[in-house]
Amino acid sequence: MIFTTSAYYILLIPTAILFRIVGPQVRPWICVASGALFFIYFSVTEVGGWLGAACILIFLWEAVISRLYSPRSAWCLVGVAASLCILGIFKYWNFTTGLLSAPFGRNSLVWRGAFLPLGVSFFTFEFIHYAVDRYYGRVERGTLGQYLAFIFFFPTLVAGPIKRFQYFGPGVEQPSTDWPADWNRGITRILVGLAKKFAVADLLTSVTDHLNRADIAAASRGALIVWILAYACKIYFDFSAYSDIAIGSARLFGIRIPENFDWPYARTNITEFWRRWHRSLWRWLVDYVFVPLGGSRGSRLSVYVNLLSVMLISGLWHGAGLNFIAWGAWHGSLLVIHRLWTDWRPLREDRTPTFVGLAASWGVTFAAVTLGWALFAMDLPTALFYYRRLILG
Amino acid sequence: MMLMNRLAWIKSLADYLGGAEDLPPAGLSLPASSSWWGLWWGALTIVIVLFCGQASKFIYIDF
Repeated sequence: MIFTTSAYYILLIPTAILFRIVGPQVRPWICVASGALFFIYFSVTEVGGWLGAACILIFLWEAVISRLYSPRSAWCLVGVAASLCILGIFKYWNFTTGLLSAPFGRNSLVWRGAFLPLGVSFFTFEFIHYAVDRYYGRVERGTLGQYLAFIFFFPTLVAGPIKRFQYFGPGVEQPSTDWPADWNRGITRILVGLAKKFAVADLLTSVTDHLNRADIAAASRGALIVWILAYACKIYFDFSAYSDIAIGSARLFGIRIPENFDWPYARTNITEFWRRWHRSLWRWLVDYVFVPLGGSRGSRLSVYVNLLSVMLISGLWHGAGLNFIAWGAWHGSLLVIHRLWTDWRPLREDRTPTFVGLAASWGVTFAAVTLGWALFAMDLPTALFYYRRLILG
Repeated sequence: MMLMNRLAWIKSLADYLGGAEDLPPAGLSLPASSSWWGLWWGALTIVIVLFCGQASKFIYIDF
């Protein structure tokens, strides 16, 4: 919820105004105070209770260790390892121990009462970005206030967009001074986001709720297609609405944060789709997984393996479940197939694609992405059952 | 080609009305007055009020 609660806007509007009227030295601390309040309040009311709120200590740990980072310092590696541990324990403990103990029939290591700290999937990725970029000397250290403002900036704390310190840090002390334009664009963006969420994404829930085993068993093939198309629309409008509200909120502060979506369903191949869908995550995966693995250097086979690895990690990041890993493998395979195709038939600059060719490419891309959403929407056995019913009737 | 240009123009218009772009697409003669934006925000607010209260969480927040 959060972005659809009145509490969010009661915090947002006064904070954004206060942020703009105080001096540059105070601005980061406005972000820190409001972010801490946001984290504690919504942890208590939405996830984890007071135990969730206590996870604010993770930010204090990060504040301390990040001050030790310097180029080629082992502290950066400690920071990355700590972030991965935080993510691993909170998000993947029960999933991993469940898989390991499956042959024995009982998971004696299960963490009952497990919860996810607010925004853990996103803030750990920002921690890792800073540690890695400090290690390679790609980012200045910044002041403690700037870094705390970066990690505590509450419009992006829960679900991104995933920011970069080199762009956010200086901006927090020198935001845009064009109040009228920022507030016009920011309020428009927030209202459009809320309208997309309520009038489209939530309205489609009544259709997508049919994506369960009992309904799939009784459905016609036409209904199965309509349901998955509805899910494709819902997930786009839902997450792009979320991103609109986050970006619009930041704009009220006079701060620009990365865009997440650029008409991904209009793209004519899977690579372009991923450059336009959840762009801040895609860029993070490219910079901190794909490139370190070797990227596009090396043999063709290694590039294909790298692409597949990135998407498997992306799938696992989206959720601790076999269905998410399968979803990642599906998209990894699509990216490999597209790379194989472009290696075999590279685009010729002297040839303009025909309308029919573009339409066919769009249709294939959209169908492949939409079919993949079944793995995202349902657990693995139900998704496989969905495919069986869709193909075999 | 003309169709593609038209589609690109519609995309720019949607981005402008959605708050993602600061400038309107070339050739658009919208009044840039605050009353026009007031009307647009009013229309969006009506949509929000009509459809709010369904209380479903955001998909990407597990999280």
